[in-house]
Amino acid sequence: MSSSPDRSADVPDELESELLALGESLRTPVPPPADVARAVRARLEGEPSPRVPSRWARPSRRRIAAVVAVFLAVLLGATPQGRAAVESVLRFAGVEIHVGGPGPLPTGVPAPLPGERRVTLDEARRAVRFTVAVPSALGEPADVRVADGGRVVTLLWPGIRLDEFDGTLSVVFRKEMGEPWPEEISSPHGWWISRPHGVSYVPADSGALQELGVAGPTLIWQNGTTGMRLEGTDQQEALRIARSVR
Amino acid sequence: MDDDDAIARSLAGDLDAYEVLVARYSAVAHRTAALLGAGDETEDVVQEAFVKAFRHLAGFRRDSAFRPWLLRIVANETHNLTRSRGRRADLSVRLGREREPYEPEEPEEAAVAAEDRSRLLEAVRRLPERERETVVCRYFLQLSEAETASVLGVRLGTVKSRTFRGLKRLREEVGRELLP
Repeated sequence: MSSSPDRSADVPDELESELLALGESLRTPVPPPADVARAVRARLEGEPSPRVPSRWARPSRRRIAAVVAVFLAVLLGATPQGRAAVESVLRFAGVEIHVGGPGPLPTGVPAPLPGERRVTLDEARRAVRFTVAVPSALGEPADVRVADGGRVVTLLWPGIRLDEFDGTLSVVFRKEMGEPWPEEISSPHGWWISRPHGVSYVPADSGALQELGVAGPTLIWQNGTTGMRLEGTDQQEALRIARSVR
Repeated sequence: MDDDDAIARSLAGDLDAYEVLVARYSAVAHRTAALLGAGDETEDVVQEAFVKAFRHLAGFRRDSAFRPWLLRIVANETHNLTRSRGRRADLSVRLGREREPYEPEEPEEAAVAAEDRSRLLEAVRRLPERERETVVCRYFLQLSEAETASVLGVRLGTVKSRTFRGLKRLREEVGRELLP
């Protein structure tokens, strides 16, 4: 065929020319670049600079995904230096924890996640881009919810709640609490929050927080690239459940 | 300030420098998101992509080009959006001529050409997703094969074969409709 794609870069054939012309006739609205730049800047104000400390840096080539995970771990490692501030921030696996601030006012009824709906486990697996893991220590969940168009899956057992979410790119949950600093856990690597604390949801699009209410003691860890947030057990049981995730 | 300067300064936390990059690539980022199916949420997708690009700038290889790296994040964000909404990424664009419903009648020749064009757009819309994305990148966004490969996260050979299959399908579809 004359239109072999190998040669298409040289001389476009008739169809290719038509496609190019069609592309040029397509209107896509574009806001003023300066407005976009300002809006992006507003969201980045106050964030740490993206420079990775050198002992973690040197991202291995072509492994941006790995670098992303490491970057979050680095933010974590960098936090103790920030503790002189009134409020320190720890960011891990899609969860941002603010320690030392006043914390939110306790609200009465826990609010659902935006767009939360009941689904079956299979439906949840189809609805999200990450792998939904079920801890074998708990078995089949009693109830499954998908929220915010598949960004978060919540598995529920009596008294226990496990949120799973894409824990690599953006902040999904924000937690606020007073001291003490959460306890670091090595296996699986994560953080144990022993006290009740305020939880808000950080939507992917706007970044405007949605308060969810007050959570009890919680374990946060990362399963592959999936952020995991387990609430409703003591620390020993939480670790047993976390370790049973395949 | 060239891209590399702007990136170096952004890495040091200079948001003025990052604004320069955002402004420079805003138009192509919006067009990419829109043509890959972000629809009404194009602006949100692009903003999110720029925020993520900043956060992950340390993972950017300075010896490569910024544009395909950024557009890959835009493409991924668009994917996330369309997947999470459980809908097929649609080519939600309009032909220029459809924007003015009350414009006076066109001469017959122009009307025929416009009709051909909208048939071709329909045929592109109906392509299987992977072929459509590749055709959109190659012809609507006018990216090179190598850039298309970076943006879609596939190998160069895959871009070639998807382009080939996409064009073949379009030729069959459009040919069948246009021939008497």
